Amino acid sequence: MAADAPSSELGVGRPTKRRPGSAVGGLPVADSRPVLDGDAVLGLRCTVCRYPVAQTGIPWCPSCYGPLEPARFDTGGTAFSSTVARIPVGTRKAPFALAYLDLDDGPRVLVHLAEPEVVPLGARLRITGMDEGDLLAEVAS
Amino acid sequence: MIQAMLWGVGTSDYGLQPERRVEALAWTAVGEAVADAGIAVDEIDAIIVGSVFGPPGVATRVQRGIGLPGVPMWTIENACASGTSAYHEAVQTVRGGRYRCVLVLGVDQMSTLFSGAIVPEATDPEGAASLPLPGVYAMGAQRYVQEFGVTPEQLAAVAVKNKRNGLDNPRAQLRKAAPTIDEVLSSRMIADPLTFLQCCPTSDGAGALIVGGDRGNPDDLRIEASVSVSGALWDHRSKEVWGYACVARAAEQAYAEAGRTPAEMDVLEVHDAFTIGEIMTLEALGLAPLGKGAELAPSGHTARDGAQPVNPSGGLLSRGHPLGGTGPAQIAEIAWQLRGRAGARQITRHRVGMVETMGGAAAGMDGNACVVTILSTS
Ligand SMILES: [Zn+2]
Repeated sequence: MAADAPSSELGVGRPTKRRPGSAVGGLPVADSRPVLDGDAVLGLRCTVCRYPVAQTGIPWCPSCYGPLEPARFDTGGTAFSSTVARIPVGTRKAPFALAYLDLDDGPRVLVHLAEPEVVPLGARLRITGMDEGDLLAEVAS
Repeated sequence: MIQAMLWGVGTSDYGLQPERRVEALAWTAVGEAVADAGIAVDEIDAIIVGSVFGPPGVATRVQRGIGLPGVPMWTIENACASGTSAYHEAVQTVRGGRYRCVLVLGVDQMSTLFSGAIVPEATDPEGAASLPLPGVYAMGAQRYVQEFGVTPEQLAAVAVKNKRNGLDNPRAQLRKAAPTIDEVLSSRMIADPLTFLQCCPTSDGAGALIVGGDRGNPDDLRIEASVSVSGALWDHRSKEVWGYACVARAAEQAYAEAGRTPAEMDVLEVHDAFTIGEIMTLEALGLAPLGKGAELAPSGHTARDGAQPVNPSGGLLSRGHPLGGTGPAQIAEIAWQLRGRAGARQITRHRVGMVETMGGAAAGMDGNACVVTILSTS
């Protein structure tokens, strides 16, 4: 939605309803992004249906309402889709690539790609680290 | 159940209007809707407002200018579907007999809030990871390109169609000459494969609707269906692109409620925030099979003189997108079309119309909300 907005300084420096976060000059907010811990993405898994989710603090399995337990997800998986953003977002300078990565036996997570390129659907990706708090993945060799 | 009817519609101009008070945009729309409905102001017995960025309290500041002290009033936030969500609640209250005449208002002023693209919400996991809204749709478009062989030219055809339609809409934001396919594709890339001219402009504007029961007025439009759904999990099990299932869920219920089929829709206003949005949405609405929606604009099927015109107003791509203000503008266009008063935009067959508004995009859900309504001449 965005592209044809005014180029003037309208809105700059005004308090807004949106919480932009400290990355773009707002107040800091709690980080809700998935976390990489060594060789695994941290999250929760349902003890009944095995539903995986890369977040914490939720009260029950959102798929079957069963109890959850802490889980570690493999860092490898396949690309559901990807794109290259050609506009700056937050602290990110263009171009930068994003992908939805379906982790093996794990959840779908949003990752940044090491190279600013679109990858084929189903491409094998592996999360190799974190960059500014974002999961960073590259095409598996 | 009481038959809900659309009595009147009104809108402000849509565009960048930072010099206007946000309330003034609303007052313009409300004044036109009340006159269009032919009611006395004090016939209104409830006010439902749809707005995303408010600002908080905007409903009351609008109310101060129109009177109606003490009337029940509340504000709904359902992302881009906020305005149509407010309309849906109005329809439900009238159907159930709770109110007899409800004012619906959708309003947002984006130009005083963001100096460029909408800043992603930092409390959202994907917003915090710098996923811009065009990126959400671009990932869907990438799947359509790679899975269904959708071409850049097919994507661009949606922008060309809608921006051409918008030239005849005096209230649209973009009123310059419509671009060619080549111009759409050579505009700067925003998120591959979506170029600048495939993204709707952020905008300021307000729309108002008057919803009531059946008063025997031939100008009133029959609300055959109104469905509002929230999002469902969008995760590793989801093979469809973001948003598809949410729209399909609302559409299925709307067709059942109206007892109609997709082929019976004479005219549609749908959520074309990005070109791929119209393509994916028309599939979810049943106008084309999965993977074939990209053929509808190039074939002329959805052109204003086609079999099923889509976004004759110019859509979000031309009118602009003031979030809460979008839904009522879509409904107003369908009302003008069904009554045969759409001027240069008038389509030839106009008995049944559909509006779809999609709101997103909180991480991990297939939508924040989707509203689909079907209206017909009474
Ligand atoms: Zn479960």
